[in-house]
Amino acid sequence: MSIINYASREIQFKIVYYGPALCGKTTNLGYIHQRINPENRGDLVSLATASDRTLFFDFLPLNAVVIKGFVTKFQLYTVPGQVIYNATRQLVLRSVDGVVFVADSQWEKMEENVESFKNLEDNLAKQNISIDEIPYVIQYNKRDLENVAPVNYLEYVLNNRKKRVQSFEVVSSTGQNVFASLNAVSQILLHKFSKQSDAPKTPSAPVAIPLDQSVAQKQGAAV
Amino acid sequence: MNAIPCLTIDDVATLDGVLADFLTKAEADLTVVIDRGGNVISQYGDMTVIDVTIIAALAAGSFAATKELARRIGEVEFNALYHQGNGNHIFMNSVDDETIMITVFGRRTTVGLVRFYSASTAQNVAKLLNALPRGGHGFAFDASDITATPVFAE
Repeated sequence: MSIINYASREIQFKIVYYGPALCGKTTNLGYIHQRINPENRGDLVSLATASDRTLFFDFLPLNAVVIKGFVTKFQLYTVPGQVIYNATRQLVLRSVDGVVFVADSQWEKMEENVESFKNLEDNLAKQNISIDEIPYVIQYNKRDLENVAPVNYLEYVLNNRKKRVQSFEVVSSTGQNVFASLNAVSQILLHKFSKQSDAPKTPSAPVAIPLDQSVAQKQGAAV
Repeated sequence: MNAIPCLTIDDVATLDGVLADFLTKAEADLTVVIDRGGNVISQYGDMTVIDVTIIAALAAGSFAATKELARRIGEVEFNALYHQGNGNHIFMNSVDDETIMITVFGRRTTVGLVRFYSASTAQNVAKLLNALPRGGHGFAFDASDITATPVFAE
């Protein structure tokens, strides 16, 4: 759920990297953190086990383009890919605006890819979001390995819905197409956001919030 | 993105007033209102040493993670959480089904005082947020308004 703040002139979006265990979600965020201008990013926070497996999530806040004087802020999250952590994935998906689905291109990971995509659909449905409504792109990661399935096959297995989405051949360890896929989902997300600009409906009920006189005076002075 | 909260300058000023009042009474250092997805809605206080965005993401995760723990003892969720440090502490309390309030405080005050004033502050924040306009956000733009392409550059 994006938030628009007219006082700080900011718009916030949340993008989640989703996919099976060890498919390269954290590597994506690590590469982005490493290569983006440090002025435009915060710290990469990783809640991982001692063996670097994501336990809860990874988190990377980014400042992006300015639109009509408003700074767009993107918060990138990864989910833990291991099947047992589904409750955690549901938590991280809360208020999501866009998804990058990271598939592992290796043949032996195909079943896990399909399961993970189905799990994404189910978890979005629990938030009353359809996969067809949310902006998302697909990464076919680890294209540098030898035992990878052809892209046509991956498209048939993972991107065979009525509305086909943009997909990218990615090597997250070297950064190939990491930024391209992030930019693609961001563009789709911004495009969707711009279409939701109908005038807001103001609730009719009045709101009374008691304030100390001193605070009210401070506010007045600040304005 | 069906119901986008839209904070006008007046909304933020009112919210800041409520939070400033709370900080004064509770003698805390910083308070942040976030949604349960980890997005910052409003913040007030000393933000010089803390990355509020990261605090928000971690606090939302922490709050959500204890929900299952609460369920095991017959509760829907814990309404408040307290993390005690040696000098600095964090108190988090539920504002409503969508929102959490985080308070950072030090030795100047006590958890009891923070807890006491946070309850009424949460009620006021909830009233204000529930009255926010939702639906369309009134912020129209097209591709030519985006200052840089691509959105992110290496």
